[in-house]
Amino acid sequence: MSERAISLPVKCLSCHEELSTPIVCDGCHTLYPVPQSADFFDLLSIGRTFHLDEGLLARAYRSIARQIHPDRFGGDSIEAGNLSTRLSAQVNQAFATLRDPVKRAAYILEIAGGPSAAEVREVPGALLGEVMMLREEIEQAQAKGDDAAIARHRGAIAKRRDETLEEIAGRADGLWEASDEDKKGFRVLLNSIKYFDNLLTELAVNPLAANQDH
Amino acid sequence: MGEKNDIIIGIDLGTTNSLVAFADEAGPHLIAGENGPDDVIVPSVLGFDEAGVLKTIGVEAREHAVEQPTTTIHSVKRLMGRGFADVAQEAAALPYRVERRDESGERDIASIIVGERSFTPPELSALILRDLKQRAETHFGRSITKTVITVPAQFDDAQRQATRDAGQIAGLEVVRIVNEPTAAALAYGLDRKEDATIAVYDLGGGTFDISILRLEDGVFEVLATNGDTHLGGDDFDNALISLFASEIRDQFGIEITSPTIKQQLRTLSENIKKRLSDDDEAQIQIAIGNDKVYEKTITRDDFEKMIDPFVARTLDACSRAMKTAGLTQSEINQVVLVGGSTRVPYVRRRVGEVFDTKPYTALNPEHVVAMGAGVQAAILSGIERDVLLLDVTPLSLGIETLGGAMGKLIPANVKIPCQASETFTTFKDGQTNIKINVLQGERELADDCRSLGVFELGGIPPMPAGLPKIDVTFLIDQNGILSVSAKEQRSGKAASIQIIPSHGLTRDEVKRMEQEAITHAREDMAAHHLIDVRTTLEFDLNKVEGMLDRYETQFTVNETTDFSKRISELRSFARSCDDATTINERREAFNQSTLPLAERAMTAALSGSIASTDGDDDRAPEKH
Repeated sequence: MSERAISLPVKCLSCHEELSTPIVCDGCHTLYPVPQSADFFDLLSIGRTFHLDEGLLARAYRSIARQIHPDRFGGDSIEAGNLSTRLSAQVNQAFATLRDPVKRAAYILEIAGGPSAAEVREVPGALLGEVMMLREEIEQAQAKGDDAAIARHRGAIAKRRDETLEEIAGRADGLWEASDEDKKGFRVLLNSIKYFDNLLTELAVNPLAANQDH
Repeated sequence: MGEKNDIIIGIDLGTTNSLVAFADEAGPHLIAGENGPDDVIVPSVLGFDEAGVLKTIGVEAREHAVEQPTTTIHSVKRLMGRGFADVAQEAAALPYRVERRDESGERDIASIIVGERSFTPPELSALILRDLKQRAETHFGRSITKTVITVPAQFDDAQRQATRDAGQIAGLEVVRIVNEPTAAALAYGLDRKEDATIAVYDLGGGTFDISILRLEDGVFEVLATNGDTHLGGDDFDNALISLFASEIRDQFGIEITSPTIKQQLRTLSENIKKRLSDDDEAQIQIAIGNDKVYEKTITRDDFEKMIDPFVARTLDACSRAMKTAGLTQSEINQVVLVGGSTRVPYVRRRVGEVFDTKPYTALNPEHVVAMGAGVQAAILSGIERDVLLLDVTPLSLGIETLGGAMGKLIPANVKIPCQASETFTTFKDGQTNIKINVLQGERELADDCRSLGVFELGGIPPMPAGLPKIDVTFLIDQNGILSVSAKEQRSGKAASIQIIPSHGLTRDEVKRMEQEAITHAREDMAAHHLIDVRTTLEFDLNKVEGMLDRYETQFTVNETTDFSKRISELRSFARSCDDATTINERREAFNQSTLPLAERAMTAALSGSIASTDGDDDRAPEKH
């Protein structure tokens, strides 16, 4: 997958400089629509791996955002302005996805041809029972106002989530060559993160959370 | 978007005050009016006459608020992009009339009635924008057609659209809408080159915003924003007003209904609020008729207790913004205060406590947003190349799903521009159009969110139910404004979209209003001119009457009778004629005919053959 061909306009069509990203020319600021084959890693000109350097990712994002942002095309044609708006929306989405480890893992699974959350809904077999038991204990602790127990549960769930994420991290870069069975297993792991997140939200007895409506 | 060397100005269109600025290589500058370099604030107040003709804008209009409460229009920003149903409660507290305008039957636009005219909020805001535009044109000595306008970060799509419409009606292309706290950060951030995380606390007259930004390599990245579009210094005033009103009711058994006294109470309350920023207590006295006087002393302590619930709401929003940004107070390097209401010491103290740092106030909190708008204008015109602003959408965007739930497509605090797509299908055989209710808000039920409008997808080829697949893309641009496009999957054909805004104007209406604004301006000017000409005529006629009277002995009886008759004829002619030019011609002709008489009177006065006059006034009449 990482070696697949990318059909970029390798050289800028207007100034013939070599392009370092598929969507904008460093030299003359000409914009190009996102090529069909380009993924989020291509958009941000960053290596296609789960283990990316987050500082490097942020710098790459800022550097591209600077070149394609609509503010840079304020005096140009409406077409250039519109293209820059659409490109910025896509680059923003790419950055938001790659910056977050869970979204990044899900995205790698997607471009490696793995199943979506809608296609495979299951979670690891033991998790359902575990979650049901936890939920009961949490409800009891909340009913009793046992803050120490709630904090203990929160710590335990956060730890389980971290461990799962570690397993995901360990397997993510192998997805390109993985079997369909392994990809499905990866999706199941990702699904369990959602369960932990839901539990943590329920535990967040932050009074502000209830007030978040505008 | 036109030529690169067009001047772009930056406008802070505020609830209470508005300002205009620009930036050059040296930095941002506010543009002053005709009363010297300190004349930079234009109160967002419009003074009309009984017929609904605009007479004054700004300081002068504000001065008439007490005498002419029903024709002095302020706080228009609170009504921008809103339906009457949204604002009915606060409209009741406003001294002027607000009604529902409902031309198409499906929409609800809050409109303001002045005399015989009805204005939508964008039309009124356009009058203020036109005044600021003229200020800038006088400053630059050339015509200005492009502007950046700031809005509260929490403004929804309809409120942003309304702001852009106001610009167009005023003859200004709004090249960018910028969030006020972000603009303030731009104004502050330019002279600071090191990286930092800053919180901007912006409490204006009617709105509150908190934004948290990361400043790195010249990029201003908004991490989170929160706030309330119905919270501000006006609430402080209202707390005082309702205290006074209820005490007057208890002490004197009088219910305050008169718009004049209401406006008087408002002015007094504003003054008390300002005085309590410096003094520990303030007194008021209000004559309420029949020799009755209401007296009251308010201590700063009382005032702080009264405003605490409002301040507490702003602090809750600060905590939520920090949570969204994933930051704790110790990670915020600086807190910047923006908006006139941050002059209240209690606000400063509480904000300092929440962020555990002394708020930074190097720039005037009432100037800083306009200066930032000027900086953004300079970025767009290419004068400022090192700085870039990356803002977020303040509210979640979604669609109404079956069963009336809000189906989120784009969550709040996502970087803009951003987009999301959704596939729609038909549920009846042969169905050729689909209606989508587009929503903004954080609530679970569609009814609790704001409807931006109904988007109607048309031109779907008749097919069995569920077969057509229409991909709809929702794009929020750099202004925070939504656009929607749709494509049928099979045919690849763009589906037509008709938008019925819930509280907004259609493109055609805005165009029509733009034309009307120009016509109205001419009519208003003509009306104004007519009044001037009539006043001048009356002044001249009075002078001649005075002369006929005082120098009676110098004129024949025939002359006196003849002129008296002509004077009364001219008076009734001026009343019935609407054409200023004709009146003026008649006036001049009449004046010519009186010259020989005036000469004789003058000679008589000089020769002392008659008692000297008591200082007849020869100055030109005062113009309004």
